[in-house]
Amino acid sequence: MVFSSLTFLFAYLPVTLAVYFLAPLRWRNLVLLLVSLFFYGWGEPVYIVIMFVSIFIDYTHGLLVEKYRSNDRKARWFVGQSIVFNLLLLGFFKYGTFFAENLYLLTGISIPEQVTLWEGFTIPLLNIPLPIGISFYTFQTMSYTIDVYRGDAPVQRSIVKFGTFVTMFPQLIAGPIVQYKTVAKELDHRVNTTEDFALGARRFTVGLAKKVLLANAIGALWEECLAAQSAGTLSVVSGWLGLFAYGFQIYFDFSGYSDMAIGLGQIFGFRFLENFRYPYLASSVSEFWRRWHMSLTGWFRDYLYIPLGGNRCGAAKTVRNIFIVWFCTGFWHGASWNFVIWGLYFFCWLMLEKYLLRNVLEHTHSAVKHLYTVIVVFVGWGIFAMEDLGVCGAYLKACFGGAALWSGADWFRLRNYGVLFIVLILASTTLGRDGWQRLPKRAQQVLTPVLMVLSLVLSTAYLVDGSYNPFLYFRF
Amino acid sequence: MSKAYSRFLTALFCLFLGGLLVWHVLLPDRDRSEVENRTLTQLPEFSWESLKDGSYTAAVEEYFADQFPLRDEWTGLKARTEQLLGKTLFNGVFLCGDTLISQVPAPENGQMEKNLSYIQRLPEKVSVPVYLGIIPSAAEVWKDKLPAGAQSWDQTQLLEAAEETGLPTIDFHTPLTLHAQEPIFYRTDHHWTTLGAFYGANALLESLGMEPLNQEDYTPQVVSESFNGTLYSTSGIHWLTPDTIEYWVPEDGLTVTSWRTGEAAPGMLYDRSYLEHKDQYSSFLGGNQPLCVIENENLPDGDRILLVRDSYSDALAPFLAQRFSQVHLVDLRYYRMPLAQYVAEHDIDAVCVVYSAQNFLTDRDLVMLTQ
Repeated sequence: MVFSSLTFLFAYLPVTLAVYFLAPLRWRNLVLLLVSLFFYGWGEPVYIVIMFVSIFIDYTHGLLVEKYRSNDRKARWFVGQSIVFNLLLLGFFKYGTFFAENLYLLTGISIPEQVTLWEGFTIPLLNIPLPIGISFYTFQTMSYTIDVYRGDAPVQRSIVKFGTFVTMFPQLIAGPIVQYKTVAKELDHRVNTTEDFALGARRFTVGLAKKVLLANAIGALWEECLAAQSAGTLSVVSGWLGLFAYGFQIYFDFSGYSDMAIGLGQIFGFRFLENFRYPYLASSVSEFWRRWHMSLTGWFRDYLYIPLGGNRCGAAKTVRNIFIVWFCTGFWHGASWNFVIWGLYFFCWLMLEKYLLRNVLEHTHSAVKHLYTVIVVFVGWGIFAMEDLGVCGAYLKACFGGAALWSGADWFRLRNYGVLFIVLILASTTLGRDGWQRLPKRAQQVLTPVLMVLSLVLSTAYLVDGSYNPFLYFRF
Repeated sequence: MSKAYSRFLTALFCLFLGGLLVWHVLLPDRDRSEVENRTLTQLPEFSWESLKDGSYTAAVEEYFADQFPLRDEWTGLKARTEQLLGKTLFNGVFLCGDTLISQVPAPENGQMEKNLSYIQRLPEKVSVPVYLGIIPSAAEVWKDKLPAGAQSWDQTQLLEAAEETGLPTIDFHTPLTLHAQEPIFYRTDHHWTTLGAFYGANALLESLGMEPLNQEDYTPQVVSESFNGTLYSTSGIHWLTPDTIEYWVPEDGLTVTSWRTGEAAPGMLYDRSYLEHKDQYSSFLGGNQPLCVIENENLPDGDRILLVRDSYSDALAPFLAQRFSQVHLVDLRYYRMPLAQYVAEHDIDAVCVVYSAQNFLTDRDLVMLTQ
């Protein structure tokens, strides 16, 4: 189930809220666990099994690490087991087909589509549908055992509470990646206040509007430009329009989803960390990555970059570590070469900024720096969006002058999407927030419910019309 | 935030979500949507098997969306919002002032060539002349009305390809373009109007070397001023003035026989009961049917023509019945018998394959002609 669906908004959510708040305090974790399992099972009922296995293994490994706290070798062994288990889970379900295809290309060895273990029991090996959210919850549970080992998080002795952490539906399928230590206290004891509910509902509504009214709407333009590319009618202008359309789509889709997750979390009494901080305002590529999908970059910093030695082992090792982190960041986004290239593309720019452009950028006008960042990032989105490297190359070539500058259709596109683009650009800045804060308190109080109802009504209208509501994060 | 204000916002949020849920539950489920002209999904029956393969939950989502309260109003609200944002394309329909025009997408690879080849081979099977007529849609005839830079597949490619089949063709394009200033298409529906069909009938008669009809012989009878067509539904644009439907040809002397169930039954040239419903265009001949025959009592010795056709011919056929003793209308979506046999048994003098461009490009039933 996705948040931006009629079934979620008008059936699952109201019923869940009613059950949760009618339940006595001590049952609320159990209620949250059960409704989350239902939420997860809705899309792929069979995969609930994976969820149970995942909860069980990480729960027991947390306990084992705690038990052998005095015996570091054993504790490390169990942390290692948990990491290997999670990576295997990810490797099998997310990367299996990709590995098999490349193995075949390299060595000619082909992995069978399925194996029969015994009569009547066959397990598929390739082309398995991806269990939704697997990239998110495997990372969350890995961080749990590691934090228990490091002493950064207390061990969780209740399997219900641990299961609630793993399956919690607000962040289950598209993040943010919630680290156990940030919600440990709230799992054991949390307060539900009306103010939290109201603020959470407001945040959720903002996220819903971003996803449904902005991301979906501009996504149609990207599809159109991609179609123009395959029909051979793409111009330079439409090429860039398409890249911008996709860049705005993914930002408002993903940050809208994070807003909804954070809002729902708050309704249930959890504080999730922020995931985006106006990334398109960044004036360097490295700054962009400090503002974009912060729960993922933070995860890689804490559990990969720093354990590898970070920047404390000399320049050569620092470059190696950064390379590994960006290879993994790219690969995490999907089992396809274009995501790896996308990650390494950013590695290159970060290296350039770190070692060559540093002084240049310092003396550059901020508008130029911003423009440079925007171009690098949006070209990056082109690599990200087009899995077929041939298509991707041809598309980007058109953007950089390998096509007619302008076509009649571009006028139509500008007319149809011009106003939306202006809204998207304004919404990517802090203007809205700053303007809002400058309003008198009274005006805010009057406007909040009006804007909430307006957003809910319009989002509903768009969802009912809903021929266009793809879910972008199916690869994650 | 004060406690009272928090309560107010919370209540507002819960009332919106919960209120629509309650409304949804209390609202009786509908069998079909008049506006969308389709049957709506009903609550699926539960089975472990369907749960396991995911089809149950998918069906529930479909049911929930299909039976959502005020479905048509929500769609209209979306269209209004998009209009405010300067949009001119709504779910594949261009808004051109007071007129809606359907965008024609590029045909799927090879479908057009395949369909043309099926017709090209038809003369091998039947012993009478075969004519091919493609009716260009409003996106072609009224392309001057489209918003600047609007993309719609160029239908002249299809007309040229039809010429190249070597079959004698019926030129609908020239007369329709000549009369493009007149209301030859509905503004809210993809079909041609009775006036458009009149020009179409003369184009067909001319190609067959027959005497054209004279416009002065007809007194148009306005039967509806409340027709909201298919484009009204798909676009969500509900604020245009409805279309007018006219009947030109009087019913006297024409006998209609419909084979809706495989049995012959008396039909109607105009089924006025449809004028009470949303789908008013279906009042011509009473809408879709596998086979329909119109006989003209006043022309017992005239020729007999067979049309392999889509719904455009519902408005066209009454005019043709003025010049032929029998007009046979075959819809390949429902009619599955070999055509050659029918032509022989009923002493047909000429076969015309008449399709609108958009239907022709997407049609998957013309292959039936090869049997």
